Amino acid sequence: MTLTWFTKMKVLVMTGIFASIANYISTYKAGDPVYPWDIIPGMLFLLVAILLGCLVEQLALKVKIKLPNIIYISLISILMGVPQLFPFAETYVAEIDKISLLALCTPILAFAGISIGKDLDEFRKQGVGIVIVALITIGGLYLGGVVTAQLMLMATGII
Amino acid sequence: MKKYFKDWKVFALCFGMVVVSELIGSKPVKLGPVSFTLLPMLYALLLGIVLFKVKVIDQESMKTASPYITISVMFLTAKMGSSIGPELGKLFESGAALIVQEIVKKFIFVFISVPVGVLILRMGREVVGCGFSTNRENAIAIVGNLYGLDSAEGRGVMGGYITGTVLGTIFSGLLASLVCGLGIFHPYALAMGAGVGSASMMSVNMAATIEAFPEMQLEIEAFTAGAQVAGSVMGMYLTLFISVPLANFLYKILGGKGENQAKKGKKGREKKTAGAAH
Repeated sequence: MTLTWFTKMKVLVMTGIFASIANYISTYKAGDPVYPWDIIPGMLFLLVAILLGCLVEQLALKVKIKLPNIIYISLISILMGVPQLFPFAETYVAEIDKISLLALCTPILAFAGISIGKDLDEFRKQGVGIVIVALITIGGLYLGGVVTAQLMLMATGII
Repeated sequence: MKKYFKDWKVFALCFGMVVVSELIGSKPVKLGPVSFTLLPMLYALLLGIVLFKVKVIDQESMKTASPYITISVMFLTAKMGSSIGPELGKLFESGAALIVQEIVKKFIFVFISVPVGVLILRMGREVVGCGFSTNRENAIAIVGNLYGLDSAEGRGVMGGYITGTVLGTIFSGLLASLVCGLGIFHPYALAMGAGVGSASMMSVNMAATIEAFPEMQLEIEAFTAGAQVAGSVMGMYLTLFISVPLANFLYKILGGKGENQAKKGKKGREKKTAGAAH
Protein backbone atom coordinates (compact mmCIF):
# COMPACT_ATOMS: atom_id res chain seq x y z
CA MET A 1 0.00 0.00 0.00
CA THR A 2 1.63 3.17 -1.13
CA LEU A 3 -0.11 6.35 -0.19
CA THR A 4 0.66 9.43 -2.19
CA TRP A 5 1.76 12.62 -0.51
CA PHE A 6 -1.45 14.16 -1.79
CA THR A 7 -3.56 11.58 0.07
CA LYS A 8 -1.44 12.00 3.18
CA MET A 9 -1.80 15.79 3.12
CA LYS A 10 -5.54 15.58 2.44
CA VAL A 11 -6.13 13.22 5.36
CA LEU A 12 -3.85 15.23 7.65
CA VAL A 13 -5.54 18.56 6.87
CA MET A 14 -9.04 17.10 7.25
CA THR A 15 -8.08 15.34 10.49
CA GLY A 16 -6.68 18.64 11.78
CA ILE A 17 -9.93 20.44 10.95
CA PHE A 18 -12.11 17.73 12.49
CA ALA A 19 -9.95 17.66 15.63
CA SER A 20 -10.21 21.47 15.92
CA ILE A 21 -14.00 21.21 15.81
CA ALA A 22 -13.97 18.34 18.30
CA ASN A 23 -11.70 20.43 20.53
CA TYR A 24 -14.13 23.38 20.26
CA ILE A 25 -17.22 21.31 21.10
CA SER A 26 -15.61 19.56 24.08
CA THR A 27 -14.12 22.77 25.53
CA TYR A 28 -17.42 24.60 24.91
CA LYS A 29 -19.28 21.92 26.85
CA ALA A 30 -16.70 22.23 29.64
CA GLY A 31 -17.50 25.96 29.78
CA ASP A 32 -14.18 27.32 28.50
CA PRO A 33 -14.37 27.28 24.69
CA VAL A 34 -11.15 27.10 22.66
CA TYR A 35 -12.09 28.31 19.16
CA PRO A 36 -10.75 26.40 16.14
CA TRP A 37 -8.68 29.42 15.03
CA ASP A 38 -7.02 29.60 18.47
CA ILE A 39 -5.26 26.32 17.82
CA ILE A 40 -4.18 26.93 14.22
CA PRO A 41 -0.55 27.57 15.32
CA GLY A 42 -0.56 24.35 17.37
CA MET A 43 -2.00 22.35 14.47
CA LEU A 44 0.59 23.80 12.09
CA PHE A 45 3.37 22.89 14.53
CA LEU A 46 2.05 19.31 14.65
CA LEU A 47 1.84 19.23 10.86
CA VAL A 48 5.46 20.40 10.56
CA ALA A 49 6.63 17.67 12.94
CA ILE A 50 4.63 15.04 11.00
CA LEU A 51 5.87 16.13 7.58
CA LEU A 52 9.49 16.31 8.76
CA GLY A 53 9.05 12.82 10.20
CA CYS A 54 7.65 11.50 6.91
CA LEU A 55 10.51 13.18 5.02
CA VAL A 56 13.10 11.51 7.27
CA GLU A 57 11.27 8.20 6.76
CA GLN A 58 11.56 8.59 2.96
CA LEU A 59 15.25 9.53 3.19
CA ALA A 60 15.92 6.59 5.53
CA LEU A 61 14.21 4.26 3.04
CA LYS A 62 16.64 5.46 0.36
CA VAL A 63 19.50 4.08 2.45
CA LYS A 64 17.50 0.91 3.19
CA ILE A 65 16.56 1.77 6.78
CA LYS A 66 12.95 0.71 7.33
CA LEU A 67 11.48 1.80 10.63
CA PRO A 68 7.91 2.75 11.53
CA ASN A 69 7.44 6.52 11.09
CA ILE A 70 6.23 6.88 14.70
CA ILE A 71 9.93 6.77 15.67
CA TYR A 72 10.89 9.70 13.44
CA ILE A 73 7.82 11.83 14.15
CA SER A 74 8.00 11.42 17.91
CA LEU A 75 11.75 12.06 17.95
CA ILE A 76 11.35 15.28 15.95
CA SER A 77 8.45 16.40 18.11
CA ILE A 78 10.43 15.65 21.28
CA LEU A 79 13.45 17.61 20.05
CA MET A 80 11.35 20.62 18.97
CA GLY A 81 10.11 20.88 22.56
CA VAL A 82 13.55 20.95 24.18
CA PRO A 83 14.30 24.59 25.15
CA GLN A 84 18.08 24.02 25.12
CA LEU A 85 17.89 23.02 21.46
CA PHE A 86 15.34 25.38 19.96
CA PRO A 87 14.50 28.97 20.98
CA PHE A 88 10.86 28.41 19.96
CA ALA A 89 10.52 25.25 22.06
CA GLU A 90 8.36 26.87 24.73
CA THR A 91 5.98 28.33 22.11
CA TYR A 92 5.88 24.93 20.42
CA VAL A 93 4.85 23.14 23.62
CA ALA A 94 2.43 25.89 24.76
CA GLU A 95 0.58 26.10 21.41
CA ILE A 96 0.21 22.32 21.11
CA ASP A 97 -0.90 22.15 24.74
CA LYS A 98 -4.06 24.08 23.76
CA ILE A 99 -5.17 21.07 21.70
CA SER A 100 -6.83 18.37 23.79
CA LEU A 101 -5.40 14.92 23.26
CA LEU A 102 -8.88 13.41 23.48
CA ALA A 103 -10.15 15.72 20.73
CA LEU A 104 -7.35 14.44 18.48
CA CYS A 105 -8.41 10.87 19.22
CA THR A 106 -12.03 11.35 18.11
CA PRO A 107 -11.41 11.67 14.34
CA ILE A 108 -8.88 8.80 14.47
CA LEU A 109 -11.41 6.49 16.11
CA ALA A 110 -14.05 7.72 13.66
CA PHE A 111 -11.87 6.50 10.77
CA ALA A 112 -11.45 3.23 12.66
CA GLY A 113 -15.23 3.10 13.13
CA ILE A 114 -15.82 3.56 9.40
CA SER A 115 -13.48 0.70 8.50
CA ILE A 116 -14.60 -1.62 11.32
CA GLY A 117 -17.50 -3.12 9.37
CA LYS A 118 -15.31 -5.13 6.98
CA ASP A 119 -13.72 -6.87 9.98
CA LEU A 120 -17.03 -7.73 11.68
CA ASP A 121 -18.00 -10.62 9.39
CA GLU A 122 -14.62 -12.31 9.66
CA PHE A 123 -14.72 -11.69 13.37
CA ARG A 124 -17.94 -13.71 13.73
CA LYS A 125 -16.37 -16.67 11.96
CA GLN A 126 -13.44 -16.80 14.38
CA GLY A 127 -13.64 -18.91 17.46
CA VAL A 128 -14.47 -17.65 20.92
CA GLY A 129 -11.02 -18.92 21.95
CA ILE A 130 -9.19 -16.41 19.82
CA VAL A 131 -11.26 -13.61 21.34
CA ILE A 132 -10.50 -14.72 24.90
CA VAL A 133 -6.78 -15.24 24.28
CA ALA A 134 -6.52 -11.90 22.45
CA LEU A 135 -8.17 -10.12 25.39
CA ILE A 136 -5.80 -11.88 27.81
CA THR A 137 -2.84 -10.53 25.84
CA ILE A 138 -4.24 -7.00 25.86
CA GLY A 139 -4.99 -7.08 29.59
CA GLY A 140 -1.77 -8.94 30.35
CA LEU A 141 0.42 -6.47 28.49
CA TYR A 142 -1.15 -3.55 30.36
CA LEU A 143 -1.10 -5.18 33.81
CA GLY A 144 2.38 -6.60 33.26
CA GLY A 145 3.63 -3.14 32.37
CA VAL A 146 1.95 -1.43 35.33
CA VAL A 147 3.16 -3.99 37.88
CA THR A 148 6.72 -4.12 36.51
CA ALA A 149 6.89 -0.32 36.32
CA GLN A 150 5.62 -0.02 39.91
CA LEU A 151 8.25 -2.51 41.17
CA MET A 152 11.04 -0.88 39.15
CA LEU A 153 10.13 2.66 40.24
CA MET A 154 10.09 1.49 43.87
CA ALA A 155 13.38 -0.38 43.46
CA THR A 156 15.08 2.66 41.94
CA GLY A 157 13.65 4.96 44.62
CA ILE A 158 11.74 7.26 42.24
CA ILE A 159 8.43 6.71 44.01
CA MET B 1 -9.89 17.10 -10.01
CA LYS B 2 -12.80 14.77 -9.32
CA LYS B 3 -10.67 11.69 -8.83
CA TYR B 4 -8.69 13.35 -6.06
CA PHE B 5 -11.79 13.84 -3.96
CA LYS B 6 -13.78 10.69 -4.67
CA ASP B 7 -13.32 9.75 -1.00
CA TRP B 8 -15.50 12.69 0.13
CA LYS B 9 -17.96 10.26 1.68
CA VAL B 10 -15.35 8.98 4.13
CA PHE B 11 -14.60 12.53 5.25
CA ALA B 12 -18.28 13.42 5.47
CA LEU B 13 -18.92 10.33 7.60
CA CYS B 14 -15.91 11.08 9.79
CA PHE B 15 -17.02 14.70 10.25
CA GLY B 16 -20.54 13.69 11.18
CA MET B 17 -19.32 11.00 13.59
CA VAL B 18 -16.89 13.41 15.27
CA VAL B 19 -19.55 16.11 15.75
CA VAL B 20 -22.20 13.70 17.08
CA SER B 21 -19.69 11.99 19.40
CA GLU B 22 -18.43 15.27 20.83
CA LEU B 23 -21.97 16.62 21.24
CA ILE B 24 -22.83 13.59 23.37
CA GLY B 25 -19.64 14.28 25.33
CA SER B 26 -17.81 12.39 28.09
CA LYS B 27 -20.21 10.47 30.31
CA PRO B 28 -19.15 8.99 33.64
CA VAL B 29 -20.84 5.62 34.16
CA LYS B 30 -21.30 3.91 37.49
CA LEU B 31 -22.43 0.29 37.61
CA GLY B 32 -22.35 -0.71 41.26
CA PRO B 33 -18.72 -0.75 42.32
CA VAL B 34 -17.54 -0.40 38.72
CA SER B 35 -17.08 3.12 37.45
CA PHE B 36 -15.63 4.27 34.17
CA THR B 37 -15.94 7.12 31.72
CA LEU B 38 -17.37 6.77 28.26
CA LEU B 39 -15.36 9.02 25.94
CA PRO B 40 -16.40 10.58 22.61
CA MET B 41 -13.81 8.45 20.82
CA LEU B 42 -15.62 5.29 21.95
CA TYR B 43 -18.92 6.65 20.57
CA ALA B 44 -17.16 7.32 17.26
CA LEU B 45 -16.17 3.65 17.11
CA LEU B 46 -19.65 2.44 18.08
CA LEU B 47 -21.28 4.82 15.59
CA GLY B 48 -19.20 3.10 12.92
CA ILE B 49 -20.72 -0.25 13.83
CA VAL B 50 -24.24 1.20 13.90
CA LEU B 51 -23.79 2.95 10.55
CA PHE B 52 -22.43 -0.29 9.08
CA LYS B 53 -25.46 -2.22 10.37
CA VAL B 54 -27.89 0.24 8.78
CA LYS B 55 -25.80 0.02 5.57
CA VAL B 56 -24.76 3.67 5.49
CA ILE B 57 -21.09 2.67 5.23
CA ASP B 58 -20.25 0.80 2.02
CA GLN B 59 -17.33 -1.57 1.35
CA GLU B 60 -15.44 1.05 -0.61
CA SER B 61 -15.53 3.56 2.25
CA MET B 62 -14.33 0.91 4.69
CA LYS B 63 -11.35 0.05 2.52
CA THR B 64 -10.57 3.72 1.94
CA ALA B 65 -10.77 4.62 5.62
CA SER B 66 -8.45 1.83 6.75
CA PRO B 67 -5.11 3.47 5.83
CA TYR B 68 -6.47 6.84 6.97
CA ILE B 69 -6.28 5.57 10.55
CA THR B 70 -2.53 5.18 10.19
CA ILE B 71 -2.20 8.68 8.72
CA SER B 72 -4.37 10.45 11.29
CA VAL B 73 -2.56 8.64 14.13
CA MET B 74 0.54 10.66 13.22
CA PHE B 75 -1.13 13.69 14.87
CA LEU B 76 -1.28 11.75 18.11
CA THR B 77 2.37 10.76 17.74
CA ALA B 78 3.47 14.36 17.23
CA LYS B 79 1.22 15.64 20.03
CA MET B 80 2.61 13.10 22.49
CA GLY B 81 6.18 13.82 21.48
CA SER B 82 5.64 17.51 22.25
CA SER B 83 4.93 16.67 25.89
CA ILE B 84 8.19 14.71 26.24
CA GLY B 85 10.65 17.50 25.41
CA PRO B 86 10.21 19.51 28.65
CA GLU B 87 9.98 16.28 30.66
CA LEU B 88 13.12 14.63 29.27
CA GLY B 89 14.97 15.01 32.59
CA LYS B 90 12.38 13.02 34.54
CA LEU B 91 12.29 10.39 31.81
CA PHE B 92 16.04 9.83 32.00
CA GLU B 93 15.68 9.39 35.76
CA SER B 94 13.19 6.60 35.09
CA GLY B 95 15.23 5.17 32.26
CA ALA B 96 15.91 1.80 33.84
CA ALA B 97 12.32 1.38 35.02
CA LEU B 98 11.00 2.32 31.60
CA ILE B 99 13.23 -0.12 29.76
CA VAL B 100 12.77 -3.04 32.18
CA GLN B 101 8.98 -2.69 32.21
CA GLU B 102 9.01 -2.52 28.42
CA ILE B 103 11.00 -5.76 28.17
CA VAL B 104 9.04 -7.66 30.85
CA LYS B 105 5.58 -6.64 29.68
CA LYS B 106 6.23 -7.78 26.13
CA PHE B 107 6.41 -11.45 27.10
CA ILE B 108 5.12 -11.98 30.66
CA PHE B 109 1.47 -12.41 29.59
CA VAL B 110 2.42 -15.28 27.26
CA PHE B 111 2.69 -17.43 30.41
CA ILE B 112 -1.08 -16.97 30.81
CA SER B 113 -2.41 -16.59 27.27
CA VAL B 114 -0.92 -19.78 25.77
CA PRO B 115 -1.72 -22.12 28.72
CA VAL B 116 -5.32 -20.84 28.83
CA GLY B 117 -5.62 -21.40 25.08
CA VAL B 118 -4.10 -24.89 25.12
CA LEU B 119 -5.35 -26.34 28.42
CA ILE B 120 -8.75 -24.69 28.88
CA LEU B 121 -9.90 -23.69 25.41
CA ARG B 122 -8.27 -26.67 23.63
CA MET B 123 -7.08 -24.51 20.78
CA GLY B 124 -4.66 -25.53 18.04
CA ARG B 125 -1.74 -23.46 16.83
CA GLU B 126 -4.08 -20.49 16.46
CA VAL B 127 -3.20 -19.81 20.09
CA VAL B 128 0.42 -19.18 19.13
CA GLY B 129 -0.68 -16.66 16.52
CA CYS B 130 -2.95 -14.69 18.81
CA GLY B 131 -1.25 -15.33 22.15
CA PHE B 132 2.26 -13.95 21.70
CA SER B 133 1.38 -10.26 21.32
CA THR B 134 -1.53 -7.86 21.34
CA ASN B 135 -2.12 -8.67 17.67
CA ARG B 136 -1.51 -5.29 16.12
CA GLU B 137 -0.04 -4.58 12.69
CA ASN B 138 3.51 -5.58 13.60
CA ALA B 139 2.24 -8.95 14.87
CA ILE B 140 0.60 -9.58 11.50
CA ALA B 141 3.89 -8.73 9.82
CA ILE B 142 5.79 -11.14 12.09
CA VAL B 143 3.32 -14.02 11.68
CA GLY B 144 3.03 -13.40 7.95
CA ASN B 145 6.78 -13.58 7.76
CA LEU B 146 7.32 -16.68 9.90
CA TYR B 147 4.24 -18.78 9.11
CA GLY B 148 2.27 -17.11 6.33
CA LEU B 149 -1.16 -15.64 6.98
CA ASP B 150 -3.00 -18.67 5.56
CA SER B 151 -1.68 -20.89 8.39
CA ALA B 152 -3.28 -21.68 11.75
CA GLU B 153 -1.03 -19.05 13.32
CA GLY B 154 -2.19 -16.64 10.64
CA ARG B 155 -5.85 -17.25 11.50
CA GLY B 156 -4.97 -16.66 15.12
CA VAL B 157 -3.29 -13.34 14.55
CA MET B 158 -6.00 -12.12 12.16
CA GLY B 159 -8.74 -13.09 14.61
CA GLY B 160 -6.77 -11.43 17.37
CA TYR B 161 -6.32 -8.33 15.25
CA ILE B 162 -10.04 -8.09 14.64
CA THR B 163 -10.78 -8.73 18.32
CA GLY B 164 -8.39 -5.95 19.22
CA THR B 165 -9.92 -3.60 16.67
CA VAL B 166 -13.49 -4.28 17.70
CA LEU B 167 -13.20 -4.93 21.43
CA GLY B 168 -9.67 -3.84 22.31
CA THR B 169 -10.41 -0.18 22.93
CA ILE B 170 -13.51 -0.79 24.99
CA PHE B 171 -11.86 -3.61 26.94
CA SER B 172 -8.70 -1.57 27.56
CA GLY B 173 -10.69 1.45 28.67
CA LEU B 174 -12.73 -0.53 31.17
CA LEU B 175 -9.70 -2.41 32.53
CA ALA B 176 -7.60 0.76 32.85
CA SER B 177 -10.41 2.60 34.66
CA LEU B 178 -10.70 -0.29 37.11
CA VAL B 179 -6.95 -0.57 37.72
CA CYS B 180 -6.53 3.21 38.13
CA GLY B 181 -9.36 3.21 40.67
CA LEU B 182 -7.74 0.52 42.83
CA GLY B 183 -5.42 3.03 44.48
CA ILE B 184 -2.53 0.53 44.60
CA PHE B 185 -0.39 1.83 41.76
CA HIS B 186 1.54 5.08 41.41
CA PRO B 187 0.38 7.32 38.52
CA TYR B 188 3.83 7.03 36.91
CA ALA B 189 3.56 3.22 36.85
CA LEU B 190 0.01 3.45 35.45
CA ALA B 191 1.21 5.92 32.83
CA MET B 192 4.04 3.62 31.71
CA GLY B 193 1.77 0.59 31.61
CA ALA B 194 -0.64 2.63 29.45
CA GLY B 195 1.89 2.71 26.60
CA VAL B 196 0.81 -0.61 25.10
CA GLY B 197 1.75 0.12 21.49
CA SER B 198 -1.69 0.32 19.87
CA ALA B 199 -2.55 4.02 19.57
CA SER B 200 -6.24 3.64 20.36
CA MET B 201 -5.70 1.35 23.37
CA MET B 202 -2.89 3.57 24.61
CA SER B 203 -5.22 6.58 24.30
CA VAL B 204 -7.97 5.08 26.42
CA ASN B 205 -5.48 3.74 28.98
CA MET B 206 -3.88 7.15 29.28
CA ALA B 207 -7.24 8.92 29.35
CA ALA B 208 -8.28 6.72 32.29
CA THR B 209 -5.03 7.56 34.11
CA ILE B 210 -5.46 11.30 33.52
CA GLU B 211 -9.08 11.01 34.64
CA ALA B 212 -7.90 9.49 37.94
CA PHE B 213 -4.99 11.94 38.44
CA PRO B 214 -5.94 15.12 36.54
CA GLU B 215 -3.31 17.25 38.32
CA MET B 216 -0.53 15.08 36.85
CA GLN B 217 -1.62 15.24 33.22
CA LEU B 218 1.73 16.43 31.83
CA GLU B 219 3.79 13.81 33.67
CA ILE B 220 1.33 11.07 32.70
CA GLU B 221 1.47 12.08 29.03
CA ALA B 222 5.26 12.11 29.17
CA PHE B 223 5.61 8.69 30.80
CA THR B 224 3.04 7.10 28.51
CA ALA B 225 4.71 8.64 25.47
CA GLY B 226 8.08 7.44 26.77
CA ALA B 227 6.82 3.87 27.12
CA GLN B 228 5.16 4.12 23.72
CA VAL B 229 8.35 5.32 22.04
CA ALA B 230 10.53 2.82 23.89
CA GLY B 231 8.05 0.13 22.87
CA SER B 232 8.05 1.15 19.23
CA VAL B 233 11.84 1.05 19.14
CA MET B 234 12.35 -2.23 21.02
CA GLY B 235 8.96 -3.91 20.63
CA MET B 236 9.42 -5.60 17.26
CA TYR B 237 12.69 -7.24 18.32
CA LEU B 238 11.47 -8.23 21.78
CA THR B 239 8.42 -9.83 20.17
CA LEU B 240 10.45 -11.59 17.50
CA PHE B 241 13.23 -12.89 19.76
CA ILE B 242 11.43 -13.50 23.08
CA SER B 243 7.63 -13.63 22.77
CA VAL B 244 7.30 -15.83 19.67
CA PRO B 245 9.84 -18.48 20.79
CA LEU B 246 8.28 -18.47 24.27
CA ALA B 247 4.77 -19.01 22.85
CA ASN B 248 6.08 -21.89 20.71
CA PHE B 249 7.95 -23.42 23.66
CA LEU B 250 4.91 -23.27 25.96
CA TYR B 251 2.65 -24.71 23.27
CA LYS B 252 5.04 -27.63 22.82
CA ILE B 253 5.58 -28.50 26.50
CA LEU B 254 1.87 -28.19 27.25
CA GLY B 255 1.21 -30.78 24.56
CA GLY B 256 -0.69 -28.66 22.09
CA LYS B 257 -2.02 -30.62 19.15
CA GLY B 258 -1.13 -30.35 15.49
CA GLU B 259 2.17 -30.28 13.66
CA ASN B 260 4.58 -27.46 14.12
CA GLN B 261 3.90 -25.01 11.32
CA ALA B 262 7.26 -23.38 11.91
CA LYS B 263 8.84 -26.09 9.73
CA LYS B 264 6.91 -24.70 6.79
CA GLY B 265 8.42 -21.31 7.49
CA LYS B 266 10.04 -20.94 4.08
CA LYS B 267 6.71 -21.05 2.32
CA GLY B 268 5.32 -18.30 4.45
CA ARG B 269 8.32 -16.08 4.08
CA GLU B 270 7.34 -15.22 0.53
CA LYS B 271 4.06 -13.77 1.69
CA LYS B 272 5.05 -10.49 3.22
CA THR B 273 2.08 -8.53 4.44
CA ALA B 274 1.19 -5.06 3.32
CA GLY B 275 -0.22 -4.06 6.68
CA ALA B 276 3.15 -3.52 8.33
CA ALA B 277 2.88 0.26 8.68
CA HIS B 278 3.34 0.20 12.44
